[in-house]
Amino acid sequence: MTDVDDKQLLELVAELRRHEAQLAHGQALSQTGSFSWKLDTDEITFSQELHRIFGFDHGAPVTLERIAGRVDPEDRAFLAAKIRAARQAREADYEIRLRMPDGRVRHVQTVSRAMRNPEGRLEVIGAVKDVTERKLSEETLGKVRTELAHVTRVASLGALTASIAHEVNQPLAGILTNARTCLRMLDADPPNLDGARSTAQRTIRDGARASAVIQRLRALFARKQPEADGFDLNEAAREVLALSAGELQSRRVVLQMDFAGDLPAVRGDRVQIQQVILNLVLNAADAMTGVVERPRDLLVGTAADPDGGVGLWVRDAGVGFDPQHADRLFDAFYTTKTDGMGIGLSISRSVIENHDGRLWATPNEGPGATFSFWLPDGPAAPARRETGGK
Amino acid sequence: MERRGLVSVVDDDESVRESLPDFLRSFGHEVLPFASADEFLQCPGSLDWTGCLILDVAMPGMSGPELQLELARRDRTIPIVFITGYLDGAASRQVLRRGAVACLAKPFNEDALLAAVSVALGRR
Repeated sequence: MTDVDDKQLLELVAELRRHEAQLAHGQALSQTGSFSWKLDTDEITFSQELHRIFGFDHGAPVTLERIAGRVDPEDRAFLAAKIRAARQAREADYEIRLRMPDGRVRHVQTVSRAMRNPEGRLEVIGAVKDVTERKLSEETLGKVRTELAHVTRVASLGALTASIAHEVNQPLAGILTNARTCLRMLDADPPNLDGARSTAQRTIRDGARASAVIQRLRALFARKQPEADGFDLNEAAREVLALSAGELQSRRVVLQMDFAGDLPAVRGDRVQIQQVILNLVLNAADAMTGVVERPRDLLVGTAADPDGGVGLWVRDAGVGFDPQHADRLFDAFYTTKTDGMGIGLSISRSVIENHDGRLWATPNEGPGATFSFWLPDGPAAPARRETGGK
Repeated sequence: MERRGLVSVVDDDESVRESLPDFLRSFGHEVLPFASADEFLQCPGSLDWTGCLILDVAMPGMSGPELQLELARRDRTIPIVFITGYLDGAASRQVLRRGAVACLAKPFNEDALLAAVSVALGRR
């Protein structure tokens, strides 16, 4: 290199500076910093962007202690394990939280691998990306989903209210008319005592009917706590169907039930599962709104899975769906209905999956579609289970 | 015109079918209950004798509004008083536009019902 003159050297330096500036620019834009760590001397070099991500001053040397000091206390043991693995020249790809001096949390993702540098020394080279914004969006998304779940619940409650109003107003009409008739019979001259007695008896019967509707409602909404012993899926489904009977009837839907006897108890939140059933039933009714050339048959059935767990299906004779779109059915806002919001199915699927179950749709051989879910049986289980064969 | 004095009650709900006829009879009306639109249509003479039809909106099989259309199709102008367990503004406006005397929400006010029945019978 002795024949390199000053001018060429200056050009090379300028070129190098340009590359460096470009690199720094790229790192800043992508919020990704890089580092190198010589394993024999623990000498660590941070790029400019990585200094910024860690909130380090440029002057002071970067050490493992300073890095550990910046990592969130809860994640320090995790970092120590990653450092031990890196010393054994293992590749790494993990996320970790930093705790900044102002108390804010920064999420970073680290990818690294070990290699021999030109001097033959083992060196870990890595990239660290600031993923805080992505993390925050994920959290926001979670919140939005919860809000959507609420909206869906309110929407199905609206449909349910119509049904309940119908169920309660019928006996109420009977009660009031009977009471009024009873008074007229007593006031007649001579009083019609036999007639008065039978109208009073009918009043009592209708009162009991109204009260039964209210009891079913209470059963549907009162139980907030998941039942530790599990619950009877048949009974839960029957309650939902009894409450939707008025709504289904007014939509001219012919409901049939095919419930298996001796189902094992299902574990989980009974009310949430009932809301899923309600959602599937109302969806099925919606799918049959335009059907006039065939009966609007709705079949709701249950069965014990020979491999364990319990299944429930809702089979309609409605418009059905294109098998190619089977997966999109469960996307939020995907809908085949003109007035639907398309949220119900995606929420229903997440409820079932939160219960370690599955929810899926299949087109029928004839018209319509079948929506089914499967839930594990048994008493309340640990919140998570290890994956692996059943 | 005298045989037009019959009040027919068509409702799938048993408590209405039992209570309403007794109530109307106590005011001197002649009343027959029917459990469905088909039962009403198939009963011999019912179309000729009925001067007021008290009709439930939501029923299995033929609904109340469908029976109203069917009667119009057969050129039978029987005054109708609708009763419904769930009052839906749009549906109620529609049946009124097609000539119904009234559309009352259950549980209805008995005086309003009696007034509507009188109007219906007077239309003949």
